[in-house]
Amino acid sequence: MITAAFQRLDRSARLLAPFVTSVLLVMLSALPVYLPGYGQVAVDVGLMTVFYWAIYRPDLFPAIAAFVLGLWQDILVGSPIGLHALILLLANWAIVSQRTFFQGKSFAVIWWCFSLVALAAAIVSWIIVCALNVTLMSPVPVLFQAALTVGVFPFMAWLLARAQHAIVRPLDV
Amino acid sequence: MKHRAVSVAKVTVPIRALLNRFALLFLIIAAFAIMLLGKADTLVVERARSSVVDAVAPVMDALSRPIATVSEGVGRVNRFFTVYEENAQLREQNARLLEWQSAALALAAENSTFRKMLHFVPERGTSFAAARVIGDSGGVFVRSVLINGGTVDGIQKGDAVVNGDGLIGRVAESGRRSGRVLLISDLNSRIPVVGEKSRVRAILAGDNSPLPKLSFLSPNAGLEVGDRIVTSGHGGVFPAGLPVGRISSIGDGGIRVQPFADFYRLEYVRIITEFPGEVAGRIVPSAAGPSQLQ
Repeated sequence: MITAAFQRLDRSARLLAPFVTSVLLVMLSALPVYLPGYGQVAVDVGLMTVFYWAIYRPDLFPAIAAFVLGLWQDILVGSPIGLHALILLLANWAIVSQRTFFQGKSFAVIWWCFSLVALAAAIVSWIIVCALNVTLMSPVPVLFQAALTVGVFPFMAWLLARAQHAIVRPLDV
Repeated sequence: MKHRAVSVAKVTVPIRALLNRFALLFLIIAAFAIMLLGKADTLVVERARSSVVDAVAPVMDALSRPIATVSEGVGRVNRFFTVYEENAQLREQNARLLEWQSAALALAAENSTFRKMLHFVPERGTSFAAARVIGDSGGVFVRSVLINGGTVDGIQKGDAVVNGDGLIGRVAESGRRSGRVLLISDLNSRIPVVGEKSRVRAILAGDNSPLPKLSFLSPNAGLEVGDRIVTSGHGGVFPAGLPVGRISSIGDGGIRVQPFADFYRLEYVRIITEFPGEVAGRIVPSAAGPSQLQ
């Protein structure tokens, strides 16, 4: 009886793992790192985790999870509230709807697709922020951030793959 | 039986799909609604934000400490290699500061004589609260940091935030034990300032670049590159005379100011929670930081 309850608890904890690790990673990314200029172009951790889980385990990362993660990121980072909620939601939707395309593709293809998503996210968020502030901002930092995020993605994907194998994979057996 | 299950699925699957589609639509609309609500600057959004940050502030505070220690260690090693030059620099600066000190002492003595002559009623002092930076100015669109001080420390929305070098920004949101500081380089930052020598008033407007711009200024305002800019105290939000920065360039793109504070290495900041209201025109001696403001 008790073991059954524990098993259920263990199972739900594992099911929640993608979302919980994303929440933690976004919080870690908001910590001060004391590197000149880094805070301005900090990599978009939320986008990377949403992209990864939308490709490999969309069942464990529904749209509402992307939405909540975006709000969390907005609150911690101080960006216009709702901005990342929208961006991550759209990214999640775009990838999940193209899921069949990603099946069995090599990592290079996935990386290439991520760079397209990151570019689209940068452009959309730049347009929204310009509209919200009614000014034309320089798009350079946004594009730079996107490039940096794309550059870091393989490392993040490796990290998340390790987490997936360790925590989520036992469920499939 | 099997046939029945299939027909049930025939009905439920499209409904589910429809619900899912509407869930997405609903969430997109919700995101836009929240964005507009946040833009309208309602108290609700701000309160929700600061209560969430309040809840995670202790965690972020704890997590940011080891990073700060590592960064400090790296800095110490770096400084070790420049210790000779730094020493020479400090000696020179010390000599200059001693001159300033004697000037300040003479002025203070003179001032107190004048005050006695006028039967001057002393003003309330300035009080500070100290806080640690626990969240970086993350993101491309905002220049702000999280601090681990809030209303329980006497920090209110709108308070000026400084460090030893000069003005950093103002408190934009204040929770119970945490707060968000909008840096002077942020797009939404507007600070009334004045040229220290020329006494020309202007508004220091951030545009997310490292060098904020002076606006509402006539083209021939008599400002020069290198001039010090201090807060003017107009509007009564900030004390007058807080050092802000130095004019770095004057050109077609406007007048740019290089802030004294280094936003990349903020670790501890001070928040001016209370200051004498009637200080318009008072200037802090340039050698002294705001810490000497008594």
